[in-house]
Amino acid sequence: MTSTSWPLVEVATRLLEPDEREAVLGDLLEAGEGGWSGLLGVLGLVVRRQLQLFRSWRPWAASFGLTLPGSLLLMGFSVTIASNCERLAHHKILIEPLGGIDEASISLFCRGLLLIGGSWVCGYVVGSVSRKTLWMSIVSCCFPCLFCLVRFREPSLSKFCLFLFLLPAVWGVHHALRLTRINLSLAILLAIAITTLTLLPTNSRGVWFLNWSLVWPAWYLVAMARQEGWKK
Amino acid sequence: MLGEFEYLLITAAAGLGDKAYGAAIRAEIETTTGRRCSIGALYTTIDRLETKGLLKTWMSDATPQRGGRAKRMVRVTAKGVQAAKDFYDAVTRVSRGASWAVDRTRRAS
Repeated sequence: MTSTSWPLVEVATRLLEPDEREAVLGDLLEAGEGGWSGLLGVLGLVVRRQLQLFRSWRPWAASFGLTLPGSLLLMGFSVTIASNCERLAHHKILIEPLGGIDEASISLFCRGLLLIGGSWVCGYVVGSVSRKTLWMSIVSCCFPCLFCLVRFREPSLSKFCLFLFLLPAVWGVHHALRLTRINLSLAILLAIAITTLTLLPTNSRGVWFLNWSLVWPAWYLVAMARQEGWKK
Repeated sequence: MLGEFEYLLITAAAGLGDKAYGAAIRAEIETTTGRRCSIGALYTTIDRLETKGLLKTWMSDATPQRGGRAKRMVRVTAKGVQAAKDFYDAVTRVSRGASWAVDRTRRAS
């Protein structure tokens, strides 16, 4: 094994499971295999492992069933909230500076909670369902994000408003990857909260109708927590 | 029924006995067949055979010969032995009367 190619082989084996990485590196050292052929062998194994993962429904469901439509919906939701927030702030500062908490403020607050909760739950479900094929879900999220970023034409709002959902979603994925178990009662509470917040009426009917697609990941989370409880 | 490569792997592992692990099986297959055996094909086939219950694998302790890396040891199960025997019997039966098999039998006798 040449000294220049060995670090590349070591980097490539990081894509394998720890035990397999150990065995493969040992086999390559023992066989005294040439650097580039060793690298090709490892990459071949990585590709085979990835292809095996894609024979399951999980990466497809996570990418095309949740991440792709979820990203589009949550981006629209983020822009709606940012726009309402800006309108409300303008109204409060210029027109009614001493006005109390009105219905619009409460509604906006609830929508904000729904955005955070829905994004977190979507991120958690995507992370749990496709832990090893997360890269495909990331690509599925990047495409609609770039598409909307290029076409975003709202002079009063920053382009970053599109991505308000990203932080809670990444937080949810992080929790799922760290194998943080969700307590069943907490999952039920979260699902009920998201369902209740979705039921609240809003001015934009189209978005309200689509918000229902945020509800099923929350109840899927409940099913997952229940299953975990049974396994214990 | 087993595939050709699965049969080769089980036979090589059975022949190596207690010393059957990734690199040794690979070397054995390459030596006896004269064909290159990729690490990818080897480990994915080992996994598949283990899922079918034809092999059992476990990680050994680390040894200094391999830069302190552990080996993935392989043992053929009773079910694996039976599957290899069935494959061998089928190949022997289907080869009866084939010109290359007849020539070989004559040469042997």
